Amino acid sequence: MSAQPHELATYSAQFERYANALTAAERAPRSVQFSRFLASGFPDKHQEDWRYSDLSRLAEQNYEPDVTTADGLPIVLLPDADALVYINGHLQGAPSTSRWHSDTCELPPPATGVDALNAAFASGGLRLRLDRNTKLEKPLQVLFISRAEAQASMSHQRHRIELGDQAEATVLLDFSGGGGERLATHFFDVRLGRGAKLTLYRIQNEAAGGTLVTRIDAKLSRDAKFEALTVDLGGGFIRHDLDVVLAESGAEAIVAGLYAQAKNSHIDNHVRAVHAAPHCTSRMTYRGLVDEKTKAVFNGKVVVQPGAQKTDSEQRIANLLLSRKAEVNAKPDLEIYADDVKCAHGATVGQLDEVALAYLRSRGIAKEVARAMLLRAFALEILDRIEWPALRTRIEAALHLPSELTVDFEA
Amino acid sequence: MKNIESMLLEITNLHARVEEKEILKGLNLSIKPGEVHAIMGPNGSGKSTLSNVIAGREGYEVTEGTVLFDGKNLLDLEPEVRACEGIFLGFQYPVEIPGVSNITLLKAAINARRKHQGEAEIAPNDFLAWVRDRAKLVKIDPKMLSRGVNEGFSGGEKKRNEILQMLVLQPRLMILDETDSGLDIDALKVVSDGINALRGPERATVLVTHYQRLLDYVQPDYVHVLARGRIVKSGGPELAKELEEKGYGWLEAA
Repeated sequence: MSAQPHELATYSAQFERYANALTAAERAPRSVQFSRFLASGFPDKHQEDWRYSDLSRLAEQNYEPDVTTADGLPIVLLPDADALVYINGHLQGAPSTSRWHSDTCELPPPATGVDALNAAFASGGLRLRLDRNTKLEKPLQVLFISRAEAQASMSHQRHRIELGDQAEATVLLDFSGGGGERLATHFFDVRLGRGAKLTLYRIQNEAAGGTLVTRIDAKLSRDAKFEALTVDLGGGFIRHDLDVVLAESGAEAIVAGLYAQAKNSHIDNHVRAVHAAPHCTSRMTYRGLVDEKTKAVFNGKVVVQPGAQKTDSEQRIANLLLSRKAEVNAKPDLEIYADDVKCAHGATVGQLDEVALAYLRSRGIAKEVARAMLLRAFALEILDRIEWPALRTRIEAALHLPSELTVDFEA
Repeated sequence: MKNIESMLLEITNLHARVEEKEILKGLNLSIKPGEVHAIMGPNGSGKSTLSNVIAGREGYEVTEGTVLFDGKNLLDLEPEVRACEGIFLGFQYPVEIPGVSNITLLKAAINARRKHQGEAEIAPNDFLAWVRDRAKLVKIDPKMLSRGVNEGFSGGEKKRNEILQMLVLQPRLMILDETDSGLDIDALKVVSDGINALRGPERATVLVTHYQRLLDYVQPDYVHVLARGRIVKSGGPELAKELEEKGYGWLEAA
């Protein structure tokens, strides 16, 4: 059973207030979504996809929709990038990049659960549309900052990235939190034209009270290339879904991620690659450093639809469990309906290599330095894929795994 | 009376166990600077346990006895501190550490020791020159040093890499635990040259070995036979030759 509708009273009150401000035409589709949300409630552990990530506790929360346009928060902008900044769902200032913003959004077909909640309340957000054969000059850093309000608060946004044929872009979705009890949901609709190439980073460093649900739906046309890299560093409850549909032949999806929180966070990554056409490639490489009382969930699924011959897919998931109180649930999953495919998968959960640790210590290296060297070695598989030096430096600093731990030797 | 002051390593009545099994049962050994000691003995006699206890590896519990290094109680020190004090253990089975390059390890190790001694970090150019020279000595291509520690190295390369680390770190006490095992004659020569290069009046060496072969290249001053957790016989280099001929049976029976 999902959360009982009567427990969703606070959301109903919020929705009523919100809907009253809309025109009748605007209100109708939102009401459909909200009814769906009421009918389904928040997902809980009885739904297979949410088995380890029960959200039903949110039913009794009272989140006020954010109305403030806050500023004055420290905003970390990366050099050599354009920036678009949202605080609690509101666009800040009028930067030159506001052409990549849209106040309105398109709603999905009637959904359930968190998708419906998002659709009922969603405002617009990032809207990046590139014509064919164009290239985004600089990477675009989109900051989503959660700021503590006097009361628990929530915001919901829908975003769209559309690259025309042969278009190219690098985008960073940069989620961070300044504390306070917050719920934020973000949905990203990504469409890549023929031969288009998108490099999409998602970095999450929410505060401990933050509940963040993000979903990226990406659809790839012929020969499109999608590289997605996600890094989770903080947060209270974090759920991220990445659904990639390789719709036409020659499409390629290379997705990778690192989750490395400590304390009490809950981080759930659900990644799905659907091979709907022949000759497509997908790679999933995820690494987890799971410490203290963190609970990590990883679910990687590859679906090969009928006719998607010559599919080439690989899933590799590795976790290091660094504390007795930490927990990892990692599951690679395959559904194959074609017979001429190459699908490799593997998931491991291990501990820090004590023999390697002892070896480093035997050479005089202090235990905590040796430990950091080994954690860095484990994370390198993902860190090495970050082709944006300033971003990489920022992530390494947040992980407390500075690059000084590595020495270059030009022999 | 022995003059403790002049001893580099002084082991007295050492008892140690691994899990619940007592392996060392009252071992005594004194080593002065400049000396080379070979420790031989049958499998299971406690040779590796002795090496590991001196280096401070976890899992080895000392139940009785003392180990003094340069007058300091070694058993109180963490393994990394022992290394910084100048103890080096060359492993029988060096571990592979993908993602931590050899050169990273060397630099971290050198600087850890310098920090311990209150010195500043080594200048990058000095460091690279220092390593490059020593890599040449053990015939290791500097390019291999950018790879993960021992990653994909052959057995012989791993042992040469141990010797390289030793040459780079310049320890005061070198303990080589069956460094000669599994080496072909060329590799044995390289490893021996490395050990000999470090011989000097201020350093001491402990060679733990099964075979006379290594001792043809690295002449020991003393040879000890370890059996049933104790040193049962000590002598000069001629003892190793005797063991090669007669085996250990005559000593174990004694």
